[in-house]
Amino acid sequence: MFILEALEHYAKTDRIALRYHDEQVSFAALNRMADAFAAYLRCTLPDDCRPVMIYGHKQSVIPACMFGALKAGHGYIPVDTTYPADRAAQILYDAQPSVLVDLCASGLSAEHTLSAETLTQILSQPAAPAPRSGWLRAEQTAYLLFTSGSTGTPKGVQITAGNLAAFHAGVKPWFARLPEGGAFLNEISYSFDVSVCALYEALSRGMTLWTADRQTLESPQALFALLREARPDAWVSTPSLAEFCVHSEQFCAELLPQVRQFLFCGEVLTKKLAAELMRRFPGVPVINAYGPTETTVLVTGTEITQAMLDAPAPLPIGRPFENVCAVIADEQGRALPDGEAGELLVLGEAVSPGYLGRPELNEALFFRTEDGTRGYHTGDLCRMEDGMLYYLGRLDGQIKLNGFRVELEDVENNLVRLPNIARAAVLPVWQDGRVTALTAFVLLEKPDGEGALHRARRIKSALANTLPSYMIPRKILAVDSFPLNTNGKIDKKQLAAQLASGAAGGTHEPIRRS
Amino acid sequence: MLEEIIAALNDITGADAGEITPETELFEEGLLDSFGLVELLVQLEQLGKTLDVAELTREEISTPAKIAALLA
Repeated sequence: MFILEALEHYAKTDRIALRYHDEQVSFAALNRMADAFAAYLRCTLPDDCRPVMIYGHKQSVIPACMFGALKAGHGYIPVDTTYPADRAAQILYDAQPSVLVDLCASGLSAEHTLSAETLTQILSQPAAPAPRSGWLRAEQTAYLLFTSGSTGTPKGVQITAGNLAAFHAGVKPWFARLPEGGAFLNEISYSFDVSVCALYEALSRGMTLWTADRQTLESPQALFALLREARPDAWVSTPSLAEFCVHSEQFCAELLPQVRQFLFCGEVLTKKLAAELMRRFPGVPVINAYGPTETTVLVTGTEITQAMLDAPAPLPIGRPFENVCAVIADEQGRALPDGEAGELLVLGEAVSPGYLGRPELNEALFFRTEDGTRGYHTGDLCRMEDGMLYYLGRLDGQIKLNGFRVELEDVENNLVRLPNIARAAVLPVWQDGRVTALTAFVLLEKPDGEGALHRARRIKSALANTLPSYMIPRKILAVDSFPLNTNGKIDKKQLAAQLASGAAGGTHEPIRRS
Repeated sequence: MLEEIIAALNDITGADAGEITPETELFEEGLLDSFGLVELLVQLEQLGKTLDVAELTREEISTPAKIAALLA
């Protein structure tokens, strides 16, 4: 695997791989800890290649566990602590990992459960370099990422070493500007596929990952202090993080003198933000990229030009990478001509083999062409013009919020499991063409006599036991009744229209349903 | 200013009038996160008031009264 080869290569230098608060981890130390973890896995589990689950948040030992697992021929499952213990327990049950690295003392357990202290002991053991013959092979699962599922339980996307190699090859032109060495911002949760840009692309170029954990991201002052110190050479984030930063005039070329490009993905990049960044960082390219978790990380990209900003259409999501094929198809899967709107199908080596243990879903969403190429139905409504793709919306109730994929039904199903909630509907709040928050409407079984804020706080804290924090609606409003459609289901279009007519902030666009 | 800040917060969080007071702890009580804070900044900008986020700690903007004092 390219990343393990790069680790061995840079381990011979004095470069720093990782910064985390005051800690720094050299490539040599990272490689040594990964070898120690690989030795532990080979010794404890000689005939077992089930994955290792890592439950924590950005701790500096996490990359060592990930790469150690790969060196021993295991995959890994990174579960961020934004996932509450109940949801982590579901993942544990679904994925059946042989080892659980529990960095947050969650009380969960697998066959072998390693606490932070035990892990530190394991990583400090002397170990010979893990033999390359035992490294993870191309067809084996390197990691599993669990994303929101419409039934209310998360589904695990399997990404193989071969998928990662395809992504590495496809994304190469977009990281060509980055210097060997240099600094890279490591702010994205390891449960989210875009963190692969830092872990695989930046580290394989010998760059230093400057880690921003939740605490840092939540304190504007701390985040800006980190940016000032790190002087990153590249910026990869969701548009949301940049939206937050541009609220300060200090977010400009003086703060980030080294930055050579901005790359955005995970949600809609607005013209307003792209134009603002181009004004504040003259000559620094702003790139819009796109890719579902099921196709590894990114599969399309384009540099934003003035002409795109001036055109009436929203910004394009780019052209397919060289090793990716994109097709716009109708409901029968037939290719549509240029300019027509249809579902985006992605084909190529970067397409995942499917979800773990979900054969019906895999049958519906993944396919193979006659020549054996793997393909995936993205569920994204797109249009292609001269090879350039434009995102138009979703074909189902899924939305992207701050880069995270959220199935609205997942939130609704978790709401109605709470006491005294008869029915629930969740709507996205739109601003400037992107979703900025969720609003939940609940029909109570009986009046609770509470104020709106108290009720919302109580429901939010109950939801926090089963849902990751990014899926918890900002507003929770009790309604007397729901508008229903002819099937007796909640009529979300009408609900959205009611909300839009009465709401002061944020317009609510109707939800497209296939 | 305080009333306008509380009105903006009511709009962002869906609180009923009177539920958010000048002393309500916005972050501790789970009413605002980073993205909710952005919403608040946008609404304050519409009122012609700006706060430089790069200069702020959470402590300095933890209640409506503290935010009002910064904008005074």
